[in-house]
Amino acid sequence: MVQAQVKAEQQKQLKQWLKAVGQSQDRAAFAKLFEHYVPLLRAYSLAQEPGATLVADDLAQEVMIKIWNKAASYNPSLANTNTWVFTLARNTRIDALRRNGRYNTTIDADDLFEHIEDEGPGPFQAAQTLMTQEAINAGLAQLPKEQADVLHKVYLQGRSHQQASEELRLPLGTIKSRIRLALKKMYLLMGGQ
Amino acid sequence: MTITQHPSSDWLSAYAAGTLPLGQSLCVATHLEFCHQCRQNYSRLNQLGGELMQTLTPVPSAKLSLDELMARIEAQPAAPKQDIEAEGVTLSGAAATSPTKHPTAGVPRSLRKLIPAGYQKLKWSRISPSIRAAELCRDNSGLKVELLRIKPGGATPTHTHLGDELTLILQGSFSDEEGVYHAGDFMSCDQSDTHTPVASVDRECICLTVTQAPIQLTGFFGRWLNPLLRRGYTSH
Repeated sequence: MVQAQVKAEQQKQLKQWLKAVGQSQDRAAFAKLFEHYVPLLRAYSLAQEPGATLVADDLAQEVMIKIWNKAASYNPSLANTNTWVFTLARNTRIDALRRNGRYNTTIDADDLFEHIEDEGPGPFQAAQTLMTQEAINAGLAQLPKEQADVLHKVYLQGRSHQQASEELRLPLGTIKSRIRLALKKMYLLMGGQ
Repeated sequence: MTITQHPSSDWLSAYAAGTLPLGQSLCVATHLEFCHQCRQNYSRLNQLGGELMQTLTPVPSAKLSLDELMARIEAQPAAPKQDIEAEGVTLSGAAATSPTKHPTAGVPRSLRKLIPAGYQKLKWSRISPSIRAAELCRDNSGLKVELLRIKPGGATPTHTHLGDELTLILQGSFSDEEGVYHAGDFMSCDQSDTHTPVASVDRECICLTVTQAPIQLTGFFGRWLNPLLRRGYTSH
């Protein structure tokens, strides 16, 4: 409970800083975001390629520049700052891997994620987002280690199900069912999926 | 017309985590343009990603300084204003299939870069009396991203699939033993699937397919085309 309050306080603060950057290009607020997110972004990047310090700095820098450039379009009632920064980091990582990929392709992260229409800000959406937030935090705290490990592999280390299956020495079906169980536990999927 | 075929949670969570080959991601992204329910689930899966990232042990950088970053930000050229609404096209399943004057009006946004002048202007090649195909691109893992057009009423012999093959209906509809499928329906086929799709009689059907390129398969409409392909009807 105490931890939940700390998290909520911190999120409120992060939102204010991001808003200040978006509205008035507030450098002091940006410095605070830098302090909070850069070490996490580096950890996210290092999770993909352990030891690649140079790449981690590049990715963190690229994401921070996007935060600065796109802060004005951030809508706090649609997503909290952690979600928003995660999507920027994921997209940046996809493009970095694409540039170094074996095959050239014209498909980039913008094609994949930028065209998806937001659900429209509103009290209903904001309440939903908050409920999901609580379900995720409660769920993550209680998640069995075996499920948490698989989520970590896929979401943070960016491994495909097949790669996760090889690295964790588990059948592909087990990887998929652990993810499904974890998502179900956090009530993340509606509509019978 | 209700969407009945959705990406499974396996597909949707891998898409949100950013781990799918880009061609497969593109297919999921295009489905999301049609499907409110999956958009909602996707946004929850992003939330999970955001919270998972907070559980990482922070790794501070000795090298990356705020001053250096601010210098890079200031050195950026002024960003060109994005004019997304200039095309006057709204985004939804209904809008995506309603005819208007703009050549890309019927094309989902996620595909407009690959189909800049509309479906008609693509280079279509005939691969059977009732089916034509146009390759859009290859993705980062070599998967082939392609459109198929099936003539109204065009039937395909019973066939099965190899590997994961994705098909998304963009226009029109067709049916098989299991039911009727409409624009926005997302299908993932593997070797356990056997079926006989038939395009609906009133309208041609346009599909997006993402398949393994080296073995010449074409998604939902699959393997029966292979003999034709081997004889060189297409030369991509």
